[in-house]
This record gives sequence, C-alpha cells and structure tokens, in this order.
Amino acid sequence: MEHSAYGIPVSWFLTVGAMLFCIGLFGMMVRRSAIGMLLSIELMLNAANINLVAFGSYLKMPVIAGQIFAIFVITLAAAEAAVGLAIVINIYRSEQHIDADKMSAMKL
Amino acid sequence: MHVLGFDITGYQVAFVILAGMTVGSAAMVVLMPNILRAALFLGLTLFCIAGLYALMNAPFLAAVQVMIYVGAITTMFILAIFLSHRVMKIGFSQAIYNPLLAAGAAGLMFLFLFLTVVNSVWIKNAVAAGPASSGQDVPAVAQALLQPYVFPFELASLVLLAVLIGAVVIAKEDTDGA
Repeated sequence: MEHSAYGIPVSWFLTVGAMLFCIGLFGMMVRRSAIGMLLSIELMLNAANINLVAFGSYLKMPVIAGQIFAIFVITLAAAEAAVGLAIVINIYRSEQHIDADKMSAMKL
Repeated sequence: MHVLGFDITGYQVAFVILAGMTVGSAAMVVLMPNILRAALFLGLTLFCIAGLYALMNAPFLAAVQVMIYVGAITTMFILAIFLSHRVMKIGFSQAIYNPLLAAGAAGLMFLFLFLTVVNSVWIKNAVAAGPASSGQDVPAVAQALLQPYVFPFELASLVLLAVLIGAVVIAKEDTDGA
C-alpha cells in the first residue's frame, strides 16, 4: 500500500491524542458545573477518535475501520450530549443549580 | 525547507500549528470560569481537530467533524448553557475545584501514555512513515459503511431515534404534575 510522505510520524498524532485525553480528564475532575463535565467528556471522546483515525490510516496495511469507528463514536457522542443536556436542564428546573457536587436527590 | 539543519516540510508546520491550537484551546475549555466561553473554545478545539483529520488523509471525517461537532453539538451546548445558567459571572475558585491535585493526576496519566507511545515496539513495527494515500477517501467510507458495517449503521439510526424521543421526554416541562 502507498503512503504519503508528509514527514509526520504517527507518534505525533498519538501524543496530541494523549494530551487531549489528559486535559479532558483534568476538566472532568475540576469542574463543578455538570455542563463543564460534559464539555470535558467531548474532549476525551475526540482524543479517542484521533487515535482511531491515526491507526486506521498509518498501519502498513491501512484499514477503513478506523474512520468508520470514529463516525460511530461521533454519533454516540451526539446522542450522549443530547440526553446529558436534557437531564441538566431538567435538574436546573427542579433545583435551580447544576452544581454536580450538590446533586444529592438519588443519594441514600 | 531547511531550518537550523533540519528538513521541515509544510505538513509538519501545519501539524504543529493545528496541534498547538488544539491543545491550547482544549486547556482553555477546562480552565475558563465562564462556561459559555469554555463552550466556544470547545468549538475551536473541534475545528482544529478537523484539520488534523485532513492531515491524516481522512477528508470525509474532517467534513463530518465540522458539520456535526462544530455545527450541531457546540450549538446544543451553547443553547443548554443559555437555558440553565442564571449567573454567568463566577470566579475561577468557584468554577474550578482542587486544580493542583487534578493536574498532578492528569500529568501522571499523560506521562504513562506518552512513554507507552514512544517506547512501544508494536507501534514501530506495524506502522508506516506516513498516512495512507489511497483507500481512505469518501467512496471507501461509503462502501465500508453500506457493506460490512450496514447493521451497526442502521442500529445507529435506531439509537438516534430513541435518543430524540428520550431527550424530548426528559427535557419537557411537566404540565399537569404527571
């Protein structure tokens, strides 16, 4: 199979993916608002997508499955964001805040 | 192009600019106290990631990324923020909880991932020097999506329908206390 000579090794893309994942992890831990946590989840899903596409394209026998899986991840991310934001709006309507630390309605 | 004895291609310059903007704006997403600005920076991050997809010879995914992520998901986040945040002006210490501990944990995780990427023998053996120059374009994606992956593809549309109904039911205002 033929490969383009761009001079960019795959480890560069994987490093960007790792950075993005860790930034998302950091945001997940520090954010108080539930919407901020959902934003961080999107960052982590995109880090996974970068890895999928990079391996799909850089393998010596390239596979299209990397891009297909990334498309499914994007679909499910859209679904997750829609349901998550609906839940956030519902919680805001009943409790007037979206602070994840103070959400205790389901605690025993 | 020769700079300080190194051979630098235009693609490498493009990669460094795109990757720097991606990581920089992603950091702004998690550090901005104002959640609306954080959502706008998420849009910038996702746009730069579309550029990275283009550098990996994945044009369809780059277009999908701009249309769905930048166009739809970011818009949805902004609308949800408008609907749920009464006070936009809060300080850094109110929005961000215990940043140093979290930075240490995330930094350890990055160190682990980076050392794995750099030292992996499997990656060195299985991977070529550049992205594939054929077989990653739009017709290839279409054929894969409608031949081997047609069942998950149809299942994804079912999931989206279920999510559409579910999100409407969850976010709907209770009219008669039901």
